[in-house]
Amino acid sequence: MDGTKMQELRELVEFLKANDIAEFDMEQEDLKVRIKFAGEPAPAAASGGIDLAQLSRLMAAAPVAASSVAAPAASPSAAAASAAPVAAAEEKLHEVKSPIVGTFYESPAPGASSFVQIGDQVEVGQVLCIVEAMKLMNEIESDVAGEVVKRIATSGQPVEYGQPLFAIRPR
Amino acid sequence: MFRKVLIANRGEIALRVISACKELGIRTVAVYSEADRNSLHVKFADEAICIGPPRSAESYLNVPAVISAAEIADVDAIHPGYGLLSENANFAEVCRASNIKFIGPPPEVTRMMGEKSTARQTMKKAKVPILPGSDGIIANEGEALEWAKSVGYPVILKAVAGGGGRGMRICRSPEELPALFNQASTEAANAFGNGDLYMEKFIERPRHIEFQVLADEHGNVMSLGERECSIQRRHQKLIEEAPSLQVTPKQREELGKTIKKSLENIGYWNAGTIEFLMDEDGKIYFIEMNTRIQVEHCVTEMVTGVDLVKAQLRIAAGEKLSSIVPGPIEIRGHAIECRINAEHPEKFTPSAGRITAFNVPGGNGVRVDTAQYAEGVVPPYYDSMIAKLICHGKDREEAMNRMQRALSQFVVQGIHTTIPLHQRIFADEEFRAGRFDTKFMERFLERQKEEQA
Repeated sequence: MDGTKMQELRELVEFLKANDIAEFDMEQEDLKVRIKFAGEPAPAAASGGIDLAQLSRLMAAAPVAASSVAAPAASPSAAAASAAPVAAAEEKLHEVKSPIVGTFYESPAPGASSFVQIGDQVEVGQVLCIVEAMKLMNEIESDVAGEVVKRIATSGQPVEYGQPLFAIRPR
Repeated sequence: MFRKVLIANRGEIALRVISACKELGIRTVAVYSEADRNSLHVKFADEAICIGPPRSAESYLNVPAVISAAEIADVDAIHPGYGLLSENANFAEVCRASNIKFIGPPPEVTRMMGEKSTARQTMKKAKVPILPGSDGIIANEGEALEWAKSVGYPVILKAVAGGGGRGMRICRSPEELPALFNQASTEAANAFGNGDLYMEKFIERPRHIEFQVLADEHGNVMSLGERECSIQRRHQKLIEEAPSLQVTPKQREELGKTIKKSLENIGYWNAGTIEFLMDEDGKIYFIEMNTRIQVEHCVTEMVTGVDLVKAQLRIAAGEKLSSIVPGPIEIRGHAIECRINAEHPEKFTPSAGRITAFNVPGGNGVRVDTAQYAEGVVPPYYDSMIAKLICHGKDREEAMNRMQRALSQFVVQGIHTTIPLHQRIFADEEFRAGRFDTKFMERFLERQKEEQA
């Protein structure tokens, strides 16, 4: 990494520290950002993620090859992997959380089309997905009306109580 | 041996089971409510799954949530700890139907021993001495007098449909029996719509003695000796010790043999405790059985050297008792346990909140089982026990002195605890002399009040 990029990166780290940001992802090409602020409850997984002190040390020690600084998802438990809220830089979306423990499926049956697509408008009570528990298919309903912005869980993924499944922009 | 075990519990016992699993190379899965997100049992398990909101009914007692977690984590077995689902025969059945090994006795045995009258009948058939009770309703004063005469006074009249102390009368002589009988019957009829009464022998100043057992799944049962748990307040144990100063080696051996036979007869598996009351003459009577590991299992571990939780895991995995506990049981020294609760030491009001300082005592012969830590939070939703302090010594004197030393070094700030109460008990002459029964705490608290007045 050349000197300019290194300097930019150092400034970025200072910016993150100054704004109390505990975790930071970034991808180039149309830009994809993920930010987690310090002080939020730690995810259930045994190891949380890179903290800022560690990040600074890494920056100083060796140049980082890619511009993506991702928090490692070291958790062996897939169920706890995506416990952190996904917040775009400006808006706060409503998260539909799983009311039960089980396995997430986006469609009513394998091969069938999903209950909802990204961009769909949904109503309160509309079925968004299935969480299967003990061989029973439980239909999970939306608790808000609005636009489906993101499907957070993936089909076949184990989910725990309270785990975010969808991000919806409320009307 | 199991590859992966889910612990269907929380707090110190969840951590205890996780620790035993780690020592046996078993992978652990913790379940937790939202209130326990930062708990030690969650932090130290290999995997952790949130199963519900804070209330136990919606999380730790929620069978579908626990089983679903076990399924998505693909576990071989579930350890239920104590309390919660540990004696729930339905839960054990669901485990069996879901092809998950329940670490405990078969559901049919849990059900049988969980029902007080069937448990008594089972023990009676096996010649275990039971507290004499009328096996059925006492129809009138005449029958009452006859029965009381055969069993001996004092006796207690109890409502068949009752509870909560209503429809109950203690009777100490035949002269007062007819009147008390009618009073109890009327009270029961008014409170429960049913005036039927039964009778039991009443022990004025009983001592609570219980025997620890282990049984493998091949028909072998062994007794690991007794514990005395007479220091109780409102039927909650505060202090337990092993061995009991009151139980003679002969009693220990004979009762051990009788218990062994009775449990072999019913096909008992895994750990269990048989509870007795001892009367003023040293006679022991069966009252009930707990078909699980108990809070106070630690004192038995200290005097016998047997790791009871590892034994539970190994038994459930199919091992024989002869390889788990190779030699005969020897009781070495004396062990005492104090239950440390998050309660005001005099008012007993619960004290939830954030712990700001937590210094745990250590040193020779001191063991602390806890899932709390500095900056940890005691949530208001669950029972108030935050730690168990267990001291072992070559005799009771050393164990007590060690406990006093350890209590003085156990610093908990930010919440109230019963540590000061235990310190006062260990300074009490009656307690130190071993002169107590289940009414000890009432008398002790009275003495304390008088001294302060």
